[in-house]
Parts: sequence; structure tokens; C-alpha cells
Amino acid sequence: MPRGAVARRARDPRGGHRVRGERLTRCSTLALSLGAVALVAAACSSSTPAATKSASKTTTPPTTSTTTAGAAAGSTTTTAAKAGVTTTTTASGAHTATTQPPASSSSCSTSGGTLSPTCDTQSPSFKLAGAGANSIAPFFTRAFYYFNQANKAVTVNYSPAGSSVGVTDIEQNTVNFGDSEVPIPTPASGTSGNILQVPVDLGGVALSYNLPGVPGGLKLDGPTLAGIFLGTIKTWNDSSIAALNPGVNLPSTAIVPVHRADSSGPGYDLDQYLIDTGGSAWTGSAAGTTPSTKWPLPKVGVGEQLNTGVATFIQQTPGAIGYVEYAYSLEGGFTNAAVKNESGSFVKPSQSSIAAAGSQASNLSASNFNIVNGPGSGTYPLANFSWSLIYQKQSNSNLGVVLGKLLDWVTTTGQQQAAALGYSPLPANVAALAHQTLLTLENSAGKPLFS
Amino acid sequence: MSPTLLEEVPPPRLTPVEGVSEALQRRWGRPGGRAYAVLRWTGAAVFVAIVLGLLVSLLVSSSQAFGHSGLSFLWSGTYNATKDVYPTGVYIVGTLVTTTVAIVLAVPIGVATAAFLSELAPRWLGAPLSVLIDLIAAVPSIVVGLWGLLVLSPVFARHVEPFFKKVPLVEWFFHGPAYGPSMLLAGTVLAVMILPTIVALSRTALSSVATEDREAARALGATRWQVVRTAVVPGARTGIEAAVFLAMGRALGETIAVAMVIGNNYALPHSLLAPGATLGSAIINNFGEASPGLDRSSIIGLVVVLLAMTALVNVGGQLLLRRRLRAVGAVA
Repeated sequence: MPRGAVARRARDPRGGHRVRGERLTRCSTLALSLGAVALVAAACSSSTPAATKSASKTTTPPTTSTTTAGAAAGSTTTTAAKAGVTTTTTASGAHTATTQPPASSSSCSTSGGTLSPTCDTQSPSFKLAGAGANSIAPFFTRAFYYFNQANKAVTVNYSPAGSSVGVTDIEQNTVNFGDSEVPIPTPASGTSGNILQVPVDLGGVALSYNLPGVPGGLKLDGPTLAGIFLGTIKTWNDSSIAALNPGVNLPSTAIVPVHRADSSGPGYDLDQYLIDTGGSAWTGSAAGTTPSTKWPLPKVGVGEQLNTGVATFIQQTPGAIGYVEYAYSLEGGFTNAAVKNESGSFVKPSQSSIAAAGSQASNLSASNFNIVNGPGSGTYPLANFSWSLIYQKQSNSNLGVVLGKLLDWVTTTGQQQAAALGYSPLPANVAALAHQTLLTLENSAGKPLFS
Repeated sequence: MSPTLLEEVPPPRLTPVEGVSEALQRRWGRPGGRAYAVLRWTGAAVFVAIVLGLLVSLLVSSSQAFGHSGLSFLWSGTYNATKDVYPTGVYIVGTLVTTTVAIVLAVPIGVATAAFLSELAPRWLGAPLSVLIDLIAAVPSIVVGLWGLLVLSPVFARHVEPFFKKVPLVEWFFHGPAYGPSMLLAGTVLAVMILPTIVALSRTALSSVATEDREAARALGATRWQVVRTAVVPGARTGIEAAVFLAMGRALGETIAVAMVIGNNYALPHSLLAPGATLGSAIINNFGEASPGLDRSSIIGLVVVLLAMTALVNVGGQLLLRRRLRAVGAVA
């Protein structure tokens, strides 16, 4: 101890105490702060929901998408929450490498030329920003990661803030591409001219429920689902549910219907299905006869933000039923209802039943996109294609080439990533539609970018 | 006792100190002084411009909605014409209810903590506790929201909400199914968020109570607790009220954390356990999807309503404070 301190202590009999007291204070401050940090860490690691779980197990690919592109993309509404909530689940780690980098072929030019799977990953260096559907985010995250592995020059930031954000952002030209579960009414255009709509994935909407003791595959049809979401069917042992499920021991738990608080593609599909099959109870309610991305009955049940919010709520709440993109239901390990399809059979969502729905789309286009309640006994009735939105006229032709090649790769080679996540690969005719649409990309002079 | 003793002494007239205005003029002559003056005025002008610009642009953008439904916008709202009408009144009720819950929860705890920190706590405990409370203040609302959604919500659904349903007298407020996201949970999350504000400001107010007041109470034989109750807290009342008003402003305007835990149901809430919606949560849930025109205009109308509510609270708070301060003679 320096002499001065000793002298001071000698002069002031309380000095020693004070010095010790201050040190004690500092020590306890430090200890308490550390304790608080430890507590927070413990709380985070022990909390159950899917979001946190996948966040901790994830090895987020360093260059991939998700998150904060919202700000860069100029989206007015990409709140920290939306990005934050989704990031955790969407970055569902890419474990297995299935994509082969294409054999570099000398005929592939980086500045346009051919548009084909062998040439798709040969493109100029670019950082792309996209925004849109939350439902496609797990697939996009994985697909863009593998695209980046094959072509390090291109990185893609995708902000999964919701379909409508994707539409608004592309219309105002604040992103390079948008994505929406429901295409824009054709002819689509924005501040930079005509917008092309490219089908990029095929997904289904699961009706997931949390009902301890009741296995998956509970049979539900249009009128019953309408009753549940209208709030007129209030308990799980209601006679209408029991009539569809003889032999299932249904508890008297109260039904908690959960819907999306923001607007959504899955909500649109379910609304369309209920308009088709729910009868006058549904169409005579506030829902009406026009399907809407905004959930038409926000006065019943609980609303949560994005697929993640709905999934978290279902996981936490016995008695809950809600609609989520099948990929989220698969990741959460949820029990899903078997929904009555057009031919009268009850079908659970699965890769094959969703693929069956997609195969009905023989005449698909951006104005004829509805595959809800399609024919076929093995068809899952709640399915839809997701649509990427890009400007036909690309003022920066390098950017146009990268976008075209990226989306062409996503709709061909990239589809290999779909199955493991709960999406179904695009049918050949739909992939061909995507390819044909991308071939119409133009540079600023109106010349085609690809041959 | 002669009454003159109690008469107020008029404040001494302030006479300008000699040479000051000359000094100011000299400074104006120097480039640095001129820059300072320009900076001052620019700062003031920018501030006024921001507030005016905000007000004007909000009013212009929301004029379509108010023009469409007039004053009934305040109750029934307009937007989403093809679907159900989402009533502004429900959001206002939701905002008031969650704020009330937050204030009811946070004020007693906050003031008690502040009193403990300023009057009773030994230093080794008080200092780190203050640091912790300041830490809570620094937690972004998205984190509090996530915590509410992932951690608090299941606890509320399983334990807290069923418990309140059994408490006599207040059970009417807590009827209906309990499933986590609710007005009660939203209010609780808000209470966590405003607690640091209340503690920090109340503590300052409490510690600035004159030592003489404490000593006087002590001299009259008051116990430690009685000193706090009869001398210190009443002395700091104005400051504590200011803290509450400030906290209320924050609770009214909070968006994202509330949207994550309130359950986003647009029906008029029938109980504190019912999910609901506030102005902030409705704005954040709907703005991204609003189509240009009446839809977007209506949501900006909600912003105007929210702004008016927070302004009312602020002005009300200031008036109250002013009256109190005048009562104790602090301002003329």
C-alpha cells in the first residue's frame, strides 16, 4: 500500500473502513452483474420453444440471408422483432451438402448468354437484397446458402418480413427481388415497370394442434374448421369434431384458435379453403367470399406474428390450433390435422400429399395460381406456390443476369433442398414456367438478357 | 407572534451585472461567438421544424381517414373496408387498460425500491442494485418482448392467471380462459419496462428531500419507516408524480413488446385475461401490409390518436406538476 494511503488512514480513523467499504461495494456490483448475466444465460438455454432450440444448435452459414437486410432493403416495416423472431427459426442449419457445384463449362458466360442449370452459378459478383414471404424463409435460407457455396461471388440477403412487405418493397424498387405467397394481380407493375412473377417453391399449410393424448391426424373438414375459427365450436369434444373422429378420445379442453396477426400466405390459403368448403357460416361472416391475406376474423382467438409466433403459441398452449407453413410444423414436430379434400378423403400434410396438390396445376400462371382444394384422393387441400417478384427490365444488366441465374438455379438444382425442409419440389411444368418467365428478362435497352 | 415574520420576503430585484452586455457584444464580434450563436439558433429551429414537420405530415397523411369517417374514426375506425372493421376504440381501450395495469404494478414496486435505495439500503447493496435497475432500462424492448413470449407467457398460462381467477373480489377482472397472451401479460411486460424509469427518477426525488425534514421527523421520535412514510415520500411527491407520468408515456407508446404478448385480438376485451390490442401493436401489425389509400391513411390516423394520447398525458402531467410546485411556492 502506498505511503500516502497509510498516512491518510492514520489521519482519518474512518478512512480504512471507507476504503474497504468501497471495495466491497465494487465487488458486490461486479458479482451481482455477473450473476445477472449468468441468470439470463441460464434462462435462455433452458427455455423450450423451437425458436431458441434451433438458434442454439444452428451453425448459421456466414454468408447467408435471413435477418437485417430489412433496413438495407428500405422496408419501412421490417421491425427488429420481425427479423429477430424469424431469424432464429429460419436459419435451420444446413447440415448435408447435396449440391454438386456445376462442372465449369467454357460455354457459360458470366454476362448473360445461356440460362441453364449448368451455367446458373457462373455469374458476376453481386450482393442481392430480397424481402418477402416468411413461409418460404427456411427454404430460401438453405438454397441461397448452397448457391453461395457454388458461387462465392454472389451473396443474398433475404428479409422474411412477410409477403406484403415483399410486394410493397418490389413495387417501390427498394429490393432486388420480392417474394409473395400470393401473386400480385396481373399485369403487375411497380415504379420501374413490368414485374415478372416466378414460381419458386411449393409448400403446404399445416393445421397444427396441441392436444395432449390425441395423436396426429385428427380429421377436420371445412365446416368444422370454419366453426373453430369463427369461435362457434368451443371445445375439443364438440359433437361435430367427435362425429368426424369416431374412436378418438377427445378431451373437453377449450379450443384456442390462433391466427396470424400480420397478413400471410397461409392465412390466404385457409381462407380460400374455408370459402370453398366452410359453407354459409364462413362466407356469411366477416370473411365474405373473397380470400384475404389479412386474417378476416381477428376478433376470435389469439393473433401472433409470423409463422414463428403462431408455432411458439401452439407449442406453449394445450388446446391451441393454428395454421402454419408445413416447414415450420415439421421443424416444431407438431401434430397436424388430416384435412378433408375435394374428393372426400382426409389427408395429412406431407411432402407427397403437397406434391400431389402441386401436380394439379397443369395451367399455372400468376393469374391462375389457386391450387387450394384441388382434385385427387391423395391431394392435400391447403397448398400454394410461392412467387418471386422481379422487374422485367433490369437497368443494371449484370444484376439482371445474377437475378435470372439465381432464380433459375433455385427452381431447378435448388429444389433438391426443398424436400428435407417440408416443401415439395416444383413439378416439371412449373419449373418450365419459371424458366420461360426468366428468359423474358431484359436490359435497359429492351434487349433480352439471356438467349 | 407577529405576522410579519411569516410574510414572504420579496425576491431581490435582479440588476444586470455591469459589463455583461458589453462582453456579449464583444463575443459576438469574435468568430467563435458568432458560430455559437448560429449553432444555438439552428438547434432550436431544427427542433421546432422536426416537431412541426411530423405533425403536419401525419395530419396530411391521415386526412383521408378522418375525412372518410370524421370523429367516428375515434371509435369505429375505418380501414380494411372489404373485411371486418377494426375499431380504433378497442385499441384505445386496450392501450388504457395495459397502461393502467403497468402503472398499478410498477408504481408501488418502483417507489418502494426507490425509497429502499435512497433511505434504507446499505451501500454495498444499494450501488449494485442501482446498476441492475439501470441495466433493465437498457434492455431493448424486443428482448423484453421475446422474454415475455417465451418465458413469461407459459408461466402466466399455467400459474399466474389461474391463481388470479381464484382470488375473491377481483375475480371478475380475470374471468375467461387463461392461455398466456393477454392484457395482463402485456401490462406486466410494460411494468418491467417502465420500472427503471420510475425507480431512477423517484430515487433522485427522494434523495433531494431536505435533510432537515428527516431530522425533524427523527427529532419527533419517528422510527426509520415513519421518517420515510411521513417526511421523505410526501416531500418527494412531485418528483414521483413526474416519474409516473414519464413512465406512463412510455407504456402508452410501446409497440413491439406488446404486440408479441398481447394476443392481437380485435374484439373489445371482456377480462384482463382476454387477448387484446393496443394502438401501438395494431399499428405495427398492420402498417406493413396496408395498401396505399384509405387503408394506410387509417393506420396513420391511429398514429395521430396515439400521439394525441401521449401528448395529453404529458400536458396533463405538466399542468399537475406546475400546480403542485405553485402550491409549494417553487414557481410563480
